[in-house]
This record gives sequence, C-alpha cells and structure tokens, in this order.
Amino acid sequence: MKRFKKYWKVFSKPSIHFSLGFLALGGFIAGIIFWGGFNTALELTNTEEFCVGCHEMRENVFQELQPTIHYSNRSGVRATCPDCHVPHEWSDKIARKMAASKEVWGKIFGTIATRDKFLEKRRHLAENEWARLKANDSLECRNCHNFDSMDFTLQGKRAAEQHSTALASGEKTCIDCHKGIAHHLPDMTGVKGW
Amino acid sequence: MMINKNAITLILCAVGMLFSLTLMMKAHADPINPILKAEINQDRPAEAIAKPIVNDVKQVRNYPMQPPLIPHNIRDYPINTNVNKCMACHNRTRTEESQAPMISVTHYMDRDGNFLAEMSPRRYFCNQCHVPQTDAKPVVENTFVDMEAMVKIAELIKE
Amino acid sequence: MKITRRDFVKASAASAAATAAGITLPANASNIITRSESTQLKWDKAPCRFCGTGCSINVATKNGKVVATHGDIKSPVNRGLNCVKGYFLSKIMYGADRLTKPLLRKKNGTYDKNGEFTPVSWDEAFDVMADKYKAAIKAKGTGSIGMFGSGQWTVMEGYAAVKLMKAGFRSNHIDPNARHCMASAVGGFMRTFGIDEPMGCYDDIEHADSFVLWGSNMAEMHPILWTRLTDRRLSKPDVDVAVLSTYQHRSFDLADIPMIFKPQTDLAILNFIANYIIQTDSVNWDFVNKHTNFRMGTTDIGYGLRDEHPLQQKAKNVKSAGGSTAIDFDAFKKFVSTYTAEYVAELSGVETDQLIKLAKIYADPSKKVTSFWTMGFNQHTRGVWANNLIYNIHLLTGKISTPGNSPFSLTGQPSACGTAREVGTFSHRLPADMVVANPKHRAYAEKIWKLPEGTVPAKPGYHAALHNRKLKDGDLNVYWVQCNNNMQAAANINEEAYPGYRNPDNFIIVSDAYPTVTAQAADLILPAAMWVEKEGAYGNAERRTQSWYQQVQAPGEAKSDLWQLLEFSKRFKINEVWPADLVAKQPELANKTLFEVLFENGNVNAYSLDEVPNDRLNDDARDVGFYVQKGLFEEYAAFGREHGHDLAPYDRYHTERGLRWPVVDGKETLWRYKEGSDPYVKPGTDFEFYGKPDGRAIIFALPYEPPAESPDDEFDLWLSTGRVLEHWHSGSMTQRVPELHKAIPDALIYMHPADAKKRGLRRGDEVKLSSRRGNIKIRVETRGRNKPPEGLVFVPWFDAARLINKVTLDATDPISKQTDYKKCAVKVEKV
Repeated sequence: MKRFKKYWKVFSKPSIHFSLGFLALGGFIAGIIFWGGFNTALELTNTEEFCVGCHEMRENVFQELQPTIHYSNRSGVRATCPDCHVPHEWSDKIARKMAASKEVWGKIFGTIATRDKFLEKRRHLAENEWARLKANDSLECRNCHNFDSMDFTLQGKRAAEQHSTALASGEKTCIDCHKGIAHHLPDMTGVKGW
Repeated sequence: MMINKNAITLILCAVGMLFSLTLMMKAHADPINPILKAEINQDRPAEAIAKPIVNDVKQVRNYPMQPPLIPHNIRDYPINTNVNKCMACHNRTRTEESQAPMISVTHYMDRDGNFLAEMSPRRYFCNQCHVPQTDAKPVVENTFVDMEAMVKIAELIKE
Repeated sequence: MKITRRDFVKASAASAAATAAGITLPANASNIITRSESTQLKWDKAPCRFCGTGCSINVATKNGKVVATHGDIKSPVNRGLNCVKGYFLSKIMYGADRLTKPLLRKKNGTYDKNGEFTPVSWDEAFDVMADKYKAAIKAKGTGSIGMFGSGQWTVMEGYAAVKLMKAGFRSNHIDPNARHCMASAVGGFMRTFGIDEPMGCYDDIEHADSFVLWGSNMAEMHPILWTRLTDRRLSKPDVDVAVLSTYQHRSFDLADIPMIFKPQTDLAILNFIANYIIQTDSVNWDFVNKHTNFRMGTTDIGYGLRDEHPLQQKAKNVKSAGGSTAIDFDAFKKFVSTYTAEYVAELSGVETDQLIKLAKIYADPSKKVTSFWTMGFNQHTRGVWANNLIYNIHLLTGKISTPGNSPFSLTGQPSACGTAREVGTFSHRLPADMVVANPKHRAYAEKIWKLPEGTVPAKPGYHAALHNRKLKDGDLNVYWVQCNNNMQAAANINEEAYPGYRNPDNFIIVSDAYPTVTAQAADLILPAAMWVEKEGAYGNAERRTQSWYQQVQAPGEAKSDLWQLLEFSKRFKINEVWPADLVAKQPELANKTLFEVLFENGNVNAYSLDEVPNDRLNDDARDVGFYVQKGLFEEYAAFGREHGHDLAPYDRYHTERGLRWPVVDGKETLWRYKEGSDPYVKPGTDFEFYGKPDGRAIIFALPYEPPAESPDDEFDLWLSTGRVLEHWHSGSMTQRVPELHKAIPDALIYMHPADAKKRGLRRGDEVKLSSRRGNIKIRVETRGRNKPPEGLVFVPWFDAARLINKVTLDATDPISKQTDYKKCAVKVEKV
C-alpha cells in the first residue's frame, strides 16, 4: 500500500524531464502502436487461416464447410469462419473474443483434440452458436443476407412463403430454420422443428 | 385441281425421300450405342454437369406405387444418425407448418406390417427411393405406356 | 436395308405410339373408369432384375405390357420395399432402342468385319454363326471357341450354356462376368471352407449387435439390405456400425466407427484384428481347437497380368499362387504378431484408437458380429486373401454360423450365386461346386448327362481377363457374349478388349436386349428377350432360389438366351465337333445333333407341355415342344441333391418367394455348418465344416503385400471405380429409364476440393483423366455424395459415354483371376 502511494505520487505529479508536447505525442504514438498492434493481432485471429491453423477446426468443421453453398456457389461470394462466428461490431467482437479465451483453454487441454471428442461435444458447441445467433437475431447472417433486399419472386415457393411471413414478422429468425447449413448437425433429438 | 394435288403429293414425297435419305446416310456413320455416340476407341467430350430441377412442381407418377420424385433442392440436406432433414418438413407433425406432403402411411409400418408411432427406421434413408431430377435430356426415349391408357385401350378393344 | 441406331428408335417409337394411338388421357374425374373388369391388373411375382439382394417384385401387366411394379410384401427379403431402381423396373424393357432383329455386319450383301449392321433373319444369323464355329473348329479345334456369360443369365440359361460349351463343343473357355465380381469370394469360400457361398443368411441382420462393412457401400449398392441394417441400428441404439473404405460414401451416414484407409491396407487391418484377438486372449479356444486348422499361404504370387509383364517376371510364386502348408497356432500367432496397432496405423493411415475400437467389436465375446463385404474385398489383387483373413477373425472368435454371427459376402448380380456359382459357369467349374480338373467330378457330370467318359475336357479354360487377351492374340476366334456388357465392364479396354473384339481373325456374337457398347463392338448382334419376357430362376446372395413365369412377350423377333442356345445347338452334328475316338465310345450319337444329345436326352425333355399352365406364357417351352425350363432345372438339381446343395422340386419355386438351399425334406436351411440348423451336420459335432474332409475350416496366415500399381510423380492419384444407387452395372437398362437417367445423367470424377484446387480445377471443369493405358474426358465433382480423401479419385462405370475402363488396369488376383477395379494410378489435367 505504501509502495502504491509512492508510485501514485510519481504518476500524478507533473513531469519534470519531459515536455508536455513530447508526452502527448509520445503517448499518441505509443497508443497507435499498441492499439494498432492489438487490432492487427485481433484481425489476425479473425481470418480463416488462423482458424484452420488448428487441426480441430481444419479436420472437422472446415472439411464440412467446403462442399456447402457458403464455400462454393454461383457468384463466388463466400463466408469465411469469422464472417459467421465473429460479430462485426467492435464491442460485440471484443466480447466474443473474450469468450474465445475459453477456446484457447480448450485447445491447450485438448477438449476436442480427437474426432471422437469433437463429436461428443458437437451438440454443445452447436447449441452455443444457435443460442448466440438466436439472441442477436441472426446478426451474422444478416450482415450479408439483408431482409429488405430479398426478392421473394426469385425464391423458391417454400422459401418465399416462410420468409414473407415468419421472418418478416420477426416471429422467426434465420437460425430457427437454417441450422446446419455450413457444418454437419449434431444429434438433433429434442431440437424444435426437427 | 387434281393435278395440283398430285403435284403437291409428288413434291412432298420427293422431299420426304430426300430427307430420309440424308438421314440414313448420316445415320450410317453413327455408332449404334445411343449413349456413347462414338466409336469405342474414339475420344468423346464430357457434357456439362446437369442442373438440378428445383421448381417445386410435382411430377405425375408412372403408377401409384412409384415413389414421388423430389422437385426441390436437397443440397447439403443431411440424413444420418444425428438428423434427417427431410423429416423436418415431411414428418406428419411438421406438415401443417411446412405444407409439404406427408410421408405415406406405408412409411409408418415395420417389416411385419405393424403401424408405429413414428416413421419406421427401415424407411430412414429417404434417397434410397426418392431422388431429385436434373435438366438432362433422356438419351433414349422410353415407350412405357401408362396403365390409364392401357385401360382405355382395353375398353376400346371391348367395344 | 441397313438399320442404324436412329432407325431402331424410330421404329420402336412408332410401334409404341400405335399402341397408344387415339388415346387421350381423361381431362376430368368424371372420365375415371371404375368397372373392375377394365381396371383390373394382372399381378404376378418375379425377383428383381438388378442386384444380388434378390428382392421379390410384384409385376402388373395389362394388354401384354408391364404397367407397374412394386416390392412384394410377402417376400422375406424386402417385405414390400424396393430401391429406386426396383421401383422403376416397369420401364427397363421399354427403351425405344430395343433390339428386335438379328443384325449382321455386312458389306455388299455379305458378312464383312467392317460392314454396317444390317437386319438379317434368325436363319441367316445362325447360318453365318455356325459356319464360323465350324471353320474355327476345323482350323484350330474347339479350343478356339469361347463364350462369355453372366450372373444375370437365368439358372436354366447358364446351365444350358455350360452344357453346350463343356459337353457339346468340349471347350472350357466359358466364363461369366461374375469373374469380375464374385471370383475372389468363391476362392475365399473354397479355400477356407471347401464349399461355396455364405453359411448365414439375411436373418443375421435382425440378430447382430455389430455390423462391419469392409469395402461395401451397401447404402447404394444393396439398398434393401441397408434398410434392414438401418432398421436394426436405429431401433436398437446399442447396435454399432463400422464402415471401412478408401473414400467416404453414403454408408458412412450410419457409421458409428467410420474408417478411411489407404488402398490395399485392409489386409494389414485384418491381420491386426487377428493379432489383437490373440494378444487380448479373446480366442474362442473351444471352437478353434475343435473346428479349425491353421495353414500358411504361399506369398509373392504376382498380379495376374500377362506373363511378360515385369511384375509377373519378378514374382516368385506365380505358378503356385493358391498353395499353402500346415502350421500350428503358435506359428500363426507369431505370424500376425508383427501387425501391431502402431505398425498398421502407420501403414493404413487409420488412428490406433480407431483400430482398437474396431478390433474390440470382434474380440468382445458378448457381441454378435456380422461382417459384410462386396467389391472392396473381391476386386482386389489379394481378394482371396482378404476373404480368407476375414474368416480368420470370425473363426478365431467362433462368431460364425449362428444367428447374428456371420461373415457375409454380398453379391452384385441377381444370379451371381444361383447361376454363375451354383451352376458353375466358370471356366474351371461344373455344377454344385464340382471342377473340371477332378476326374470324379467329370465322370459324375458325364453320367448325369448320359455322355461317354472323356467328353468334358480336364483342363480349366480361359478366365475372363484371359478371354480378352486370347482374343487379341488370336487364340480365341469365335466368341459369344450373352447377357452382359463386357466391352464396357472389362478393365483395360484400349489394350485388350477392343483390339480383341476387332481382331480381323475373330467373329464376335453379342446377344443383348439393347445396342450396348459390347454390341457395338460385335460382328453379329442377336436380339434378346429380357426378365419377365421369359421364364426363369435366379439365386441371390443368401442361397435363395426364386423362379418366375413369363409375363409378357418379347418385342419383335427378340428371343431368350435359352432359345438362342437351344436353336443354335441344332446346327451341329456330334461327328462335326467331337473327335472320332470319343464318338466311337457311343457311336449311336454320331449323326445326332448337339440339341438331341444334350437337350433331348430324356432328362431335359422329361416334362411335357401339359405341365405348363394353360393361362401362362412360355414361348421357349412351346417353341421347343417340352417344358424345357423344368427339365433343365431338374437335371441340374441332380448334381447338388444329397451333396449339400439340395434344391426343392422345380414346381415348388413357383409357389414360394424363394427357398434357401440346401432344401432338405422340404425345409430350407438358414445357418449352415451348425448342428440343429443344418441337416448335413452330424449329430454331436456342434459345428461341422463339411466342405473339408475333416470338417474343419482353415485359418490362413497371409501377409500384407503392396498393390500392383501405386501413384507416383507422374500418375499421382489413386483411381477407384464403382457404382451409384440409381444405375445398375453398365447402365444398359437404367440409363434408358428417364427418371433414373435424369437423377444421375453422367458419370463424374469425384475428388477432394484440395486436390482440385492444387490442379487449378473447380467443380464442373472438363478434365482428361489418364493412366498408362488410356484416357477419358470427364467432369469434376468436388461436393458429390462420394467424398474421397486427398490423393484418391472415384469414377462410377455405369456411363456408356464415359468408358472408365479405358483407364483401369487389368491386374487380377492370381488365385481367383478377378480384376482389381479399385486401384490404379492416374493423373487429372484440365482440358
């Protein structure tokens, strides 16, 4: 406590050796470096290469993604891992990244290190993502699939029917119907609508 | 008038003969296998991958027992030990919401013909019987005659 | 007049249009006809025309045409179900290009090898054919006559063909296309048990706790058995399913233990399991001590290629490939001990924990295990070994011949068992597991056939792959192909099959219902009646024999293969084909025709037309003047009765949905070799493998040996070929059903997205797929139902437009002579 007070004094006193300008500028530059570094690091973790750097992702979910329409399609617009699994909004993103510290833990302790372990956890992992997307009204879907821009006349009969009613009224959100569109589904026993 | 008619007939015949002659001459060079369409030792280009038909339009069945064809996209629809995506719409309890046809009553019967409360597990893998179609053109026509036409023929014969 | 593809289409379409002429479909409900005499359909039973499952079908006819089909609810095999192909059986006979007249290649009015196909009468066709046979016999002897038959022949057709060839023409160069699909299974059964075909039956499925699929995509290839397996797995959650393959396919959808292994390493995995069973002391000693022997098989046996091939030159034991020596358990234990989990994991690419999980299924004494396999094992340069090794595991644990414990070899053709195997249409066989090399067996056949001793040649004839090689070399000169499409089906079309058929010295006859790729390579095409256009019988994979009546007439002048064989046999006198010394043994035969000697011998013509029901069609019987199918069946059945292959009296099959042989005292046999369920097992023995003289089955020590061809720097991918659900075999029937064609219109090359990317390819790209032997153009599929691992591509062979067998290698199992269609090295380049 005593030591803390001493440091506080130094910290709170005006500087004797450095000019205000130097300090302000230095602080600004340091800020840029740190902030930039932080963000760069953050963005680095926000790429598919980073995600599939781990065999857990590469051998399981990434293999499943590749044949799907979110990886290969008519126009070549494709979703990478973070497009669906990391929010674009900064504060949400940070919150998600903080939650991801648990995943680092999981990586270190090999929670899903083998195929069997992964399959055992698949329902749990999927439920997390369904819950997150349900709670944010399928935000990551809507980053690309804008409801107002949907042309129902170009959709299939069944799709147009559902989108113009349940989705339009907000009664349902994307993830309610579109589970398992990019990865294999877990055992769906007891999941509503399955 | 009479002459005109004959002349027309004559011309038509000539055109017809010419047509069939060119057809035959060309046909001579044709290898007889209608799918291979080439000599066995010849190179043959590969047709583009056919596109799935996804128009949701029911196709008439060839006979009542024929499993209906799937008129919609089934890309990435899983049917495995975890989940059967088809049943999310075609299961009895789901059809009001989905407006999809319910799986037929036979699908609730076990091997011995008893009705079960749920779809019989022997029917679990839908695409063993139900398949989607592509826009590929048939390579050979099929001359199968529908039983309804056959009944009509039987009636006519009787008359 | 010359006829071409277009003309057939036009002619057939016109006749069909005439049938329906003036008929407009009712526009509204009031037009519906409800009078029962008009709307009644005539229903009858038949086995399915496609795979070896042997589903029973109900067939509806009206005005002489098939109008509907569905699964027979009374059939124990399928209980009312069909797969998508089965549901479309109604349309397989109505492709517009059905062959209705014999077609002979002619130039300027006479036969010419390079002429155009020209319609001829049956008389002219048989005249030309008989001339060619006689000329060949005169020039080179009957050894220059060959025949290629089928596991789709009816039992009677196969029997008539084998009799005509082996006893009539005295040439053993007859082989069925079942050589391509079942020979390794036969080799495995004969080597381990001394008697062919599975001991168990489909009822095993309803009793098993675990299923292991070894190189079998049952979900697509045996869909109805898959429904039974699915039923069992889903209704009993503790049942588990292991699926092993070199690529991921639809059967993996039900897999609890999915396993992708490197090609050929199944041999090592099998040995690992045997090792694991021994190491964990899970051997069923009581069973092993009482009912098995151990033997060490000959190794380094080559790859069944041409003699001059370097691989054949290098191999030490090509000549003694099937040999073995007796060993004891300790020697066997030592032999398999090198197949540790670590070593096999390294070799196969399967994780050790997965290997152990699989081994535990077999080792656990409380689990009833049924193993299924098809072409993954059989189309394998060590196919007989693979079959032997799976029996090792079931024998070590005593999991055999009891409900649910079953090593079960599935078949691909509707009568691969019934005709090819049981009738013995292979080049080395006779009916009921007898072989031409055994003098007692020949004598037995000659006695039944009422022929002089020495009629049947002792030397086994050429096998399937050898047929094409011998045609190319000019050793076989007249060659009759019935009921199969071997130009499309045989490996290495470019180097062997095509040059063989088109060799100017050869005359090739092809009997088929449609102008197949093989027909296109022929010199004479004979139009064939198919399926319910004739009476016949098939035998399925569980020893079930099923018969059917003729239900409609064949179009035009099309005739059954049986009719063709019988009619053709009338054109030869015994003294034209037999040597004088043989004729001298029974001189009264000299001036008789082959028909009279073989088919009017008092057996085949024993049953009069009175036995053919009046309201039944039977064009073959009425043409020949006696109930020929019954006569052939009964004469054939004499081989197997009281020899472990007992068939019921022919008439009974018309009233049953098939019966599983041996049928003793009117009762079928479900589990063979087990006391109580098999009448042939001596009381007190518990189990008796009576195919072997001492009643003991053999456990074989056989190693892993590498495949004939593996990927290298230039040809850097494995190629595996196979089938798809919607098409059957070479597609000659299913590609003519529009619904099936439109479901899967083209064969595609299934590859891993990463393999595509590496080569700058994407889905839909046209590529050149080539091997050292040939190439085809084909489109890339990266997200289809088959998901190969990196380094392997899969191409189905149904598509007549994509002749994948231009690319494959004709390496065979040296023991079974079956081709390995699952492994060769290829490269893929963008066109």
